[in-house]
Amino acid sequence: MKPPPFEYAAPDTLEEVVSLLQQHAGEAKILAGGQSLIPLLNMRFARPAALIDLRRVAGLDGIREEEGRLIIGAMTTKRAVERSRLVANRQPLLHAATRWIAHPQIRNRGTVGGSMAQADPAAEYPATAVALDAHFQLVGPNGARSVAAEDFFVTYLTTALDENEVLTEVHVPVLPEQTGWSIQEVARRHGDFAMVGGVFLLGIDSSRRCTRARIVHFGVGPTPLRSRDAEQLLLGEAPGEAVFAAAAAKVDEAIDEPLSDVHASAEYRRHLARVLTRRGLAEAAGRVA
Amino acid sequence: MTKTCRVRVKVNGVAYDEEVEPRLTLVDFLRERLALTGTHVGCEHGVCGACTVLVDGRTARSCLMLAVQADGAKVETVEGLAPEGELHPIQMAFLEEHGLQCGFCTPGFLMAVCELLEDNPGPSDDEIKEMLGGQICRCTGYQSILRAVHRAAANQQAARAARTTLRA
Amino acid sequence: MAVKIPNNVDELPTSALRYVGRAVKRVEDPGLLTGRTEFIDDVSRTGMLHCAILRSPIAHARITGMDVSEAAKLPGVVAIVTGEDAARWSFPAAAVPEGWGTHCLPKDKVRFVGEPVAAVAATSRAIAEDALELIAVDYEPLEPVMDPLRAMSQGSPLVLEERGTNVMMQRLFTWGDVDAAFATADHVFSEKFRWNRLGANPIETYGCISEWNPVDHGIVVRGGFQSPSHMALGRAASFGLPSNKVRMIAHPHGGSFGGKGGVRGTDISILLSRKAGGRPVKWIEDRMEYLVAGGSQAWDRHYELSLAARADGLVTALKVKLIDDLGANGEGFGAISAAKPLAAFTGPYTIGAAQYDLTLVATNKAPASPYRGMGPPPHNFALEQMMDIAAKGLGIDAAEFRRRNFIPKDRFPYTIPSGNEYDSGDYQAVLDKALALADYETLREEQATARQQGRLVGIGVASAVEPGVFDWNAYAIVGVQGTGVPEGATVSVDILGKISIRVGFALEGQGQYTLITQLVADYFAVDMDDITVTALDTQSAPPHFGPGGSRLGVAITGAVLGACERIREKMCAVTAALMQTAPENIEFADGNFIVKGMPGAEMPMAQVAGTMLGASHLLPPGIDPRPEATYVWTAAGRTPVDEEGRAKSYLTAAQAVHVVLLEIDRETGMVEIKKYCLVDDCGTRLNPATVEGQTEGSVAQGVGAALLEEYVYDEDGQLLTSTYMDYLLPTISDVPMTEKDEVVTPSPFTPLGAKGCGEGAIHTTPAAVMCAINDALAPLGVRANEVPATPVRLWKLIQAAEDAPATV
Repeated sequence: MKPPPFEYAAPDTLEEVVSLLQQHAGEAKILAGGQSLIPLLNMRFARPAALIDLRRVAGLDGIREEEGRLIIGAMTTKRAVERSRLVANRQPLLHAATRWIAHPQIRNRGTVGGSMAQADPAAEYPATAVALDAHFQLVGPNGARSVAAEDFFVTYLTTALDENEVLTEVHVPVLPEQTGWSIQEVARRHGDFAMVGGVFLLGIDSSRRCTRARIVHFGVGPTPLRSRDAEQLLLGEAPGEAVFAAAAAKVDEAIDEPLSDVHASAEYRRHLARVLTRRGLAEAAGRVA
Repeated sequence: MTKTCRVRVKVNGVAYDEEVEPRLTLVDFLRERLALTGTHVGCEHGVCGACTVLVDGRTARSCLMLAVQADGAKVETVEGLAPEGELHPIQMAFLEEHGLQCGFCTPGFLMAVCELLEDNPGPSDDEIKEMLGGQICRCTGYQSILRAVHRAAANQQAARAARTTLRA
Repeated sequence: MAVKIPNNVDELPTSALRYVGRAVKRVEDPGLLTGRTEFIDDVSRTGMLHCAILRSPIAHARITGMDVSEAAKLPGVVAIVTGEDAARWSFPAAAVPEGWGTHCLPKDKVRFVGEPVAAVAATSRAIAEDALELIAVDYEPLEPVMDPLRAMSQGSPLVLEERGTNVMMQRLFTWGDVDAAFATADHVFSEKFRWNRLGANPIETYGCISEWNPVDHGIVVRGGFQSPSHMALGRAASFGLPSNKVRMIAHPHGGSFGGKGGVRGTDISILLSRKAGGRPVKWIEDRMEYLVAGGSQAWDRHYELSLAARADGLVTALKVKLIDDLGANGEGFGAISAAKPLAAFTGPYTIGAAQYDLTLVATNKAPASPYRGMGPPPHNFALEQMMDIAAKGLGIDAAEFRRRNFIPKDRFPYTIPSGNEYDSGDYQAVLDKALALADYETLREEQATARQQGRLVGIGVASAVEPGVFDWNAYAIVGVQGTGVPEGATVSVDILGKISIRVGFALEGQGQYTLITQLVADYFAVDMDDITVTALDTQSAPPHFGPGGSRLGVAITGAVLGACERIREKMCAVTAALMQTAPENIEFADGNFIVKGMPGAEMPMAQVAGTMLGASHLLPPGIDPRPEATYVWTAAGRTPVDEEGRAKSYLTAAQAVHVVLLEIDRETGMVEIKKYCLVDDCGTRLNPATVEGQTEGSVAQGVGAALLEEYVYDEDGQLLTSTYMDYLLPTISDVPMTEKDEVVTPSPFTPLGAKGCGEGAIHTTPAAVMCAINDALAPLGVRANEVPATPVRLWKLIQAAEDAPATV
C-alpha cells in the first residue's frame, strides 16, 4: 500500500499556496495533518498530482478569543484544542466533541481545518460547527470570504471550498450564558467513526423555558443534519421527557435517506438519531443551572 | 515543485540529511533509509498503531506521515529507549509483567506509554485505556499491558524519588 | 534404549526447581522490546527485488486478455509473471480436500475478488505497485455465487468447473444409536445458527523473501512461517521439486493464530525470482491484501442442531448439521476446521450418541484458512446455546444443567462418541470454582433486580473442552493423510557446560523458547542464562511441525526432556567409566553425576561434558563422546481413523467454565461486558504467566468473534470489510479484564502432565458471551442466533419483541 507518485511543496505563505492550487487546476490537494488524506494515498484511492503542505505557513494555528468568538487557526491540532483551557472554559461543547475523535495519536496530528475540509458525514467536528453557528474563513485568488458552517458542508466529502481556496480559520461563538450542551454518539468501538451522533444546545431562561435550541446530527446523511422543526418545537417549552420525545419524532421526519453500511442499517440509524436526541436534550437541559 | 525533497531530521538524537521521494512515508524512511527496523508496519492506514513513534515529543502514526513532513523535526523510536542495551524502565515493566507475546505491536505501545507517562505519571486504568485505545494487540488481550503500564509508572516514580533522594 | 519422559515435575532430576512452574521472565523479550528481533520485513538480501501482486477486482470472470508490455517498460521493473508462467513452472497448490487447488496465478479464470492474476518484481514496492497499474487485463464477467445454499443447488454457477460441483465434500457421520435416543427422548430441542466469517489477523501480515537457484533449481525462502516444514513440503509440491531442494528459513513472526497464510504469495515470489534470473524477491503482504485474499478468513457457517434430553436433564444425543462455506478453493486448508470438532464433538458432557451432517461448499469468496481453535469455537457456541435452550425448556438453571451432564472425574480417560479420548479432568471442580469466583448467586439476584427495572442483563455460564496436541488424524475426514506429528529438539552441552538447543521453529509469541530454557535449566540445574535456543532451517532442523493445534508446549517439552534423558544416559556411562563402576551405579541429581552410596564421589555435569569433549584419552573405547542428543517426540497411540472417522486424535483435553455478566442497552443494542470470570484446567502449568497470557489473548479474540469481527461480502462478491475501519479488532476498551482461577488435573499421558493450552479460551468465550446475550434477551422471548451479535442485530431482535413502531 504505497502512495502513487506526486509532487510536493511546503510553501511559506498563503499566497504561494493559492498560486500553487491555481497552477494545478484542481489536481492538487492540501496537506494539513494527513490523518485522513494519507490513508487514501496509501490505498491509492486519492491520486493528486501534487500535495501542498501547509505546515510552514505562519499564522495558521492558534486559538484566541475575540469579540465573543474563538478564532481557531485551521492548522491547530485537535490535541491543542483538547488541551486548551480557553476552549474548555469558553466552548466546552467543542472540547467535548474533540475528545470523541479517534485516539490521542490521531489527535496529535489531525487538524481542525483538515477535519472540516474533509467533511466526513460521520465526523464530530462538522456537526459541532453547524450546531455552534461557526463561520469558516476561506482564502483564494479573489481574497478572503466567510462562509457559515451550515453553507459550508455541501454533500459527502464536499465543501464550499473552491478548488483554489484554503480554509484558514474557524470562528466559533463562545457558549452563551444559560446554555446547556451535549454531544452524543454511538460507535462500534470507542474512538471509531460514529454510526450516529448528535450535537445539542439548549438555551433555557430563568423560568425554565427554552429560548434557543440547536439539534444537529451526524451519520444520518451526506452532511450534518440540522432539524429546524425539532428546534422550533422546543422553543417556549419547559424541558421534559415528553417534549424531548416529540422533538425526536421531528428529527425522524427531517432525516431523508440515512446511510446504510456494514455497521448500521438506515432504519437503525433513524432509531439511534431519535434515541440520541432524547438523551442529548436531557443532558443539555441538565447542564443549565 | 520538486522530484525529491530534502529531509533534515534528528532521530534518537542523531542528525540525518537525506533526499527522499515525497511519497515515502515516515515509517518506510525510518525502516529502509535509516535501517531503524524496530518500528513496524501493521496496516498502513493508521488503525493498528504498530508504527507509532514520537515526533517532537508527541505520538504519531508514522504510516500516516510523509518523511518530508518530518523535516526539521525530532523523532524518537523504540531504538532510542535503550541506546546502550540497558532496558528503559518502561521496557523493564513490560518484561516484568509479560506485557508482550509476539512483540510486533510492542514498539508502538512503548512509544505511546512514553507519552502517556510524560503527561501523566500516575494514570488510572481509564486514562491508560484512553491513551492506548488506538493501539491494537492481537496476542495479549491487554490485561498484562495494563499491569505493565502501572508497573512502568511505579518504576519511573521510584527512579525519580531515588534521584531526588540522592540530590538531597 | 527406550527413553522415559517424566510425566510429573517431581520426576525431574533436580529437587529444588527454580524455573519450571514459575512465571519466569521470557528470554524472547529483550530482543522484542528493543526492536532488535528480526522479523521478515527487517531483512534484506543482496540484489533483492520487491513484489507487488495484481489482483482481480471481480469475483468471477474469465480472463480473456492480459497485456504487461507497458508495465515492463517502467524503469525499475525487472520481472513480471502471469498465469502463463505459473502453468509452465508450477502445479496447483496442495489443497484440502484434495483436488480443490489451483495455480497461484490462474490463466483462464478468476474465482474471488483479490485473486492474484499477475505480479511484478521491481526495485521498490512503490515502483512495483506503479507497474501494476500499467498491466491491462480483460475480464469477461461470470455470475458469482456467494451463498453456499445456492452453490449447493442445481443450476448454480460452478466455482471450479472441472470438479463438476461446488460441493467439496458431503458426508453423514453417525456415532452410536442416535435415532433411538431421539425417538425415546422426553424432549427434543432444535435450533439454527449462523456464524459469520472472521479470522486470525495477526498484527504482522505474511512476508517472505524467495530465491530460486537457476543452477540446481532449488528454492530458499525466508519468511514468517508458522510451520516451516509444512510450508517446505507445500512448495516442493507446488514446484515439483524433491523435498530436499527446498529450504525454508523461519523468522520470528508477529503472531499467526493459524491464519498467516501466504502460500500463494510465496509461490508467486518464487516464480518472480525464477523470472528474474534467481534474484531474491521480497513479498510483504499488505493489510488490505491480507484482509481480502490472505489467510484471514475462516468459519463461514450455517448450523442446525438438535438435542435429545431426558426429563431429568440428561442429554442423550446431539445432531449437528453444518454447511461450511470454504470460499473459492481448498488451498487455505480451512476444511480442517470442519474436522477438528470431532476431537471434542460432544463437549464436556456424557452425551452418548451424536451425528454430524457435514457439507463443505465452494463459493466465490476468498479461500478459508484455519484460525485459532480450528473449528470448535463456532461448534461450541452452537452446542452451548442448545444446552441453554434445553435447560430453559426443562426449567433447570444453566450451571446446574451443565453439572448434571458433565463427565464425572472418575470416568477418565473418556472416549467420546466421535472417537477421541479425553485424558483427564475434574469438570465439577472447575464449575464450582467458577461459580464461586463469580459469586453466581449474587449475580442472579442482581439480575432479578435489573430485570424488574426492564434492563437487559444477562449471565452466561458456558463450558468447553479445549483439545490440545493435535494429530493429523484429527483431519482425516477431510482428506488429510498421516498420523503422528513429530517435534524434535537437539540439546548440546559444550566443553564448558553451556547448553545450546536447536529446534525447527521460530518465535511466534507463545514463549516456547522460554519454556525450553526453563526445562533444560532445571533438568541440568544450571542457570537459564547458560542456555541458548536457536531455530534451524528445514534442511538442518530435526523433524518438526512448530506451533499449532495447541501442541507445541507439550511436544517440545517431550522433545527436550527426551534429549536431556539421552544425554543423561551417555553421561552416566562416561561417569561410570571414569569412576570405574557400572552405569547402573551412577545417578544424576541436582546437576551432579553421583556414585550411589559413595558420598563425595561425584562429577558436575559441566565437568563430564568437558571430559567428553576435551579429554578423550580418559574415555573407554566405543563410548559416544558427544554430550549431545536429539529426541523427536510425538503422541503415542495415534492410529488412522476408522470408517466413521473415529480415532484418538488430540492427546489432551483442557477444560474451562466461563461466567459472563453483561448488559444490552435496550435502545441501542450495544453490549457492555461487566464481569468476566473463568476457571480453566490445562494440567500442569509449566510457565503460569505464559498460560495466563494465552488465556487473556484468546478471551480477547473470543470477544471480538462474539461482538465485533465479521467479513461482509455484497452480492457481487466484493468484500465490504477490506480495511481495519470496517473489520473491527477488539481494543483495550472492548476486552473485559478477566478474573481467573485454576484447577490442575495433570494429564497422565504427557510430558510433565501438561496439556495443550495455546488456543485456550477461544473455544469457550464466544459461547459464554452469546449465552449471556441470550440470557439477557430471554424476558423478551427472542434469541440471538447469529454471530457476531452486532448492535444492529440485537436492536432488530429487541424491536421485533417490542412489536411496535419505534416508540420514542
